[in-house]
Amino acid sequence: MKPTLKKLYAWVDERLELQDLIKFMAKKYVPVHSHSIWYYFGGVSLFLFIIQVVTGILLLMYYKGSEELAFESIQFIMSKVAFGWLIRSLHSWTANLFILTTMIHMFSVFFEKAYRKPRELTWLTGMLMLFLLLGFGFTGYLLPWNELAFFATKVGTEITGVVPIVGKPILQFMRGGDDVTGATLSRLFGFHVAVLPGIFTVLLGAHLLFVNRQGMSEPLHYAETPEKERKTMPFFPNFLLRDMLFWLIVLNVLAILAVFFPWELGTKADPFASAPAGIKPEWYFLFMFQTLKYIPAQIGFIDGEVLGVLVFGAAGFLWMMVPFWDRQSSRGERNRFINYIGLFVVMYIILFTIIGWLA
Amino acid sequence: MRKKYFLFGCVAASILFFSVNLVADDQCVSCHTNVVGDKPSELFKHDIHFKKGISCADCHGGNSKMEEMEAAMNPKEGYKGVPKGDAISQSCARCHSDADKMKKYGSTLPTNQWNNLQTSAHGKLSTTGKEHIAQCITCHNAHGIVSVKSPESPVYPLNVVKTCTKCHSSATFMRTYNPSLPIDQGEKYRSSVHGVKNGKGDPKPAVCSSCHGSHDIRTSKDAKSSVYAVNLPGTCSKCHSDAQYMKEYKIPTNQYEKYAKSVHGVALLQKHDVGAPSCNSCHGNHGATPPGVESVSKVCGTCHALNADLFSASPHKKAFDDRKLPECETCHSNHEIVAATDKLIGVTTEAVCSRCHQENQNPKGYAVAKAMRQMVDSLDISGSAAITLVNEAEQKGMEVTDAKFKLRDAKQAHLQMRTMVHAFNEGKFREVVDKGMEATLFAKTEAKDAVDEYYFRRIGLGISTLIMSLLAIVLFVYIRRIEKKQAEER
Amino acid sequence: MSDISDPHVQQDKRDFLKFALVGGTFAWLAAVIYPVLSYLKPPKQAEVVVNSVKAGKIADFANDSGSIIKFGTKPVILIRNPKGEFKAFSAVCTHLECTVQYRKDFGMIWCACHNGKYDLNGRNVSGPPPRPLDEFRVTVQGEEVSISKLS
Repeated sequence: MKPTLKKLYAWVDERLELQDLIKFMAKKYVPVHSHSIWYYFGGVSLFLFIIQVVTGILLLMYYKGSEELAFESIQFIMSKVAFGWLIRSLHSWTANLFILTTMIHMFSVFFEKAYRKPRELTWLTGMLMLFLLLGFGFTGYLLPWNELAFFATKVGTEITGVVPIVGKPILQFMRGGDDVTGATLSRLFGFHVAVLPGIFTVLLGAHLLFVNRQGMSEPLHYAETPEKERKTMPFFPNFLLRDMLFWLIVLNVLAILAVFFPWELGTKADPFASAPAGIKPEWYFLFMFQTLKYIPAQIGFIDGEVLGVLVFGAAGFLWMMVPFWDRQSSRGERNRFINYIGLFVVMYIILFTIIGWLA
Repeated sequence: MRKKYFLFGCVAASILFFSVNLVADDQCVSCHTNVVGDKPSELFKHDIHFKKGISCADCHGGNSKMEEMEAAMNPKEGYKGVPKGDAISQSCARCHSDADKMKKYGSTLPTNQWNNLQTSAHGKLSTTGKEHIAQCITCHNAHGIVSVKSPESPVYPLNVVKTCTKCHSSATFMRTYNPSLPIDQGEKYRSSVHGVKNGKGDPKPAVCSSCHGSHDIRTSKDAKSSVYAVNLPGTCSKCHSDAQYMKEYKIPTNQYEKYAKSVHGVALLQKHDVGAPSCNSCHGNHGATPPGVESVSKVCGTCHALNADLFSASPHKKAFDDRKLPECETCHSNHEIVAATDKLIGVTTEAVCSRCHQENQNPKGYAVAKAMRQMVDSLDISGSAAITLVNEAEQKGMEVTDAKFKLRDAKQAHLQMRTMVHAFNEGKFREVVDKGMEATLFAKTEAKDAVDEYYFRRIGLGISTLIMSLLAIVLFVYIRRIEKKQAEER
Repeated sequence: MSDISDPHVQQDKRDFLKFALVGGTFAWLAAVIYPVLSYLKPPKQAEVVVNSVKAGKIADFANDSGSIIKFGTKPVILIRNPKGEFKAFSAVCTHLECTVQYRKDFGMIWCACHNGKYDLNGRNVSGPPPRPLDEFRVTVQGEEVSISKLS
């Protein structure tokens, strides 16, 4: 390092005790084993979150969240603003990749049973963030105010409306009225850029703090492995540099996607037009959407759609609560049952997403 | 008082007198002709119904067998007196809408007249609010009805016009129903080719009912009417395309065939654009005549106003007049007007200019025609090149609304050019073409910029991918080195 | 397990790898920052405006005149009648989509392509146009005249 840089570093170090931080990070160890690859997905998700924040803020500079201007302003960003096409495509592509990586992250944690004691709270905050992410996806999808988004939002909000008692008020709350209108757009815009990011940041802070306090979770079989055979690597610089290498590759993939497959804008939503054929939600909602299609209209005395929504709600809740009912894993015992459930859920989601995609 | 008694005595006496030998006969007729001597019964004797053995009582009710007047015309016997309003037509329809009854009388007449009348303007509308406008007897008379084929019938071709104009030429009557409806149709008809021939006693040319129908007359705005714009050419062609029927008049019978292929015919008959001209738009309807050579441009000019104006001010006007050439028709033909294309102009074989402007006889006109065609072609080529470029840029996902906005101007110049050609002035023509060329040029530059931007994005991506890949490789090597060092230190 | 207390292991100043790493990082930063800065540079057209367009100052429009204003991707004709009142219509002729213009001599909106005429309420009064021109709202605020969509 050059002397001037060294001096500058010393100046900052003197005030902020950077050395201590580096020492702290260097003392953190990341277990090295055959499943280590899954550790990177949390970091990638964090990186994608940063991209979303940056591109999101950039889009805010030109976006106008009103019925008359939303579509036109996106069009404006994509045609008149230098690199606007890139920023907008990046934001859309990253959103999808973000949900994908968090899902991988979540399932890897689930199968490794990394949620077991003492990491119940880490899991809980993570699951809440995943739900928030779906909320981000849902609210952000409408913002360009194009035909597809308009009708997908109409269908999506309608589904919440079937929930007994609370459904109708929730529907009205989300739509800002009885129908999807400009009021819905303003509302979802507010959620997308203010409410959700606020909550998300708090949860993310907690999540990262927990990870830092507790370190990386070690796989169950480590308990039986003698201490000498347990391989590790320092968090700094080894793991962090690898993380960054991964991030670089992801960023490059995103750039390629944005250039070669620019996110389409479609045609402006017309509330009075008839819905185009084959309206589908975003892929991460597809498996639920497809399931609701298969449920018969009436099961016993209960409405099929209501049942579907309730079952999904209950399943989501149970899934989130897994650290509290999977006592076996917390005691360090193997629990094959959890693996079977997880496998079933993964297969189910993949199968129904494919069916929904092809339908 | 005394007079009344006397009259009554007379009637009673005559009834007594005639009842002896006519007791089996129709007592209504005998009494009304011989004793009362009124006009209806007199007319009824010539009536086709009387001849078929239909009695007064069949319409008026009562018992025609009874001699006693009080008995015969007793409401208890079903006597109705004179039917009023719609009851008139209803009593006709009792037989005329009943195929079995009509068969019994050996009739081959259709039986849907009453139904048709009820759907017609005459059967639906009312002036008084109590009864509908026309009853059967309005046109066919009440007593003394003869076959429609008989020259005495009021609906015989030579009499139809008189029958219809009874009401339709009366302002006082028509006002009660529709004050804006013209009342000069009869007069106009008399001036038409059809009317003149009809007036000379020829029953074949069209009369009112030939075009408007008889019982089922609807207003011209009714889409089911035979004179509704879309149906009119077919109505005219019923006679005018019938070579056999038209034989003695020595005029062509292929107008409909040609018209149906024309730009006007396609617009009206296939696209149902009721603004498009049909037969009557050029020939008139009630006063139908061919427009003739002198006025044909005025006829076309009612819609194609700008073209007509430009033409009138052009050097061609005098030239055409001198040679007695019809103005529009010379280049565009009459019934078979096809959509004008850019190919009409110029000196090639499909162009019309060279028909007069030949290279050796009229070099100046020939040169202008050639120059104008070149301008048309260059605008066309430049325009389609611009469209191709804009489409290419758009397919590449680039935003080209500005270029598209400008393309509107190019399209407009093209349309304007086609109008301006009728001024037959090279300078004015060039002005319009230049405007279009300018617009296509702008669109082309915009589109080209967009295409360039598309490639710029790819190059930019290439460069940044290169940077990122290199950095990734360096980082990878760096990590390896650190770890190697760490292993050594251990 | 290793313990690295000193993060700058390599002291060699001529170390190519480090040079490449720092250089690459800067190049990468440039590749990221350049688009972001370009994005933030105000574009030629400062903001998206389609539901309302500023036509100009009142004084820019003479009485008894008409001018074409670009409204999004479509032209709009702004008419100022002899009394000084403003009206605006879509300038796209309803016949074949030519751009119409104001003709002082007729006191009408006129389409040059086929002599279509509209009155100053946008109604098609003669020629081939099949229907009236769509009307736009004109708002005068102080000296500023702007046009917006009727909704």
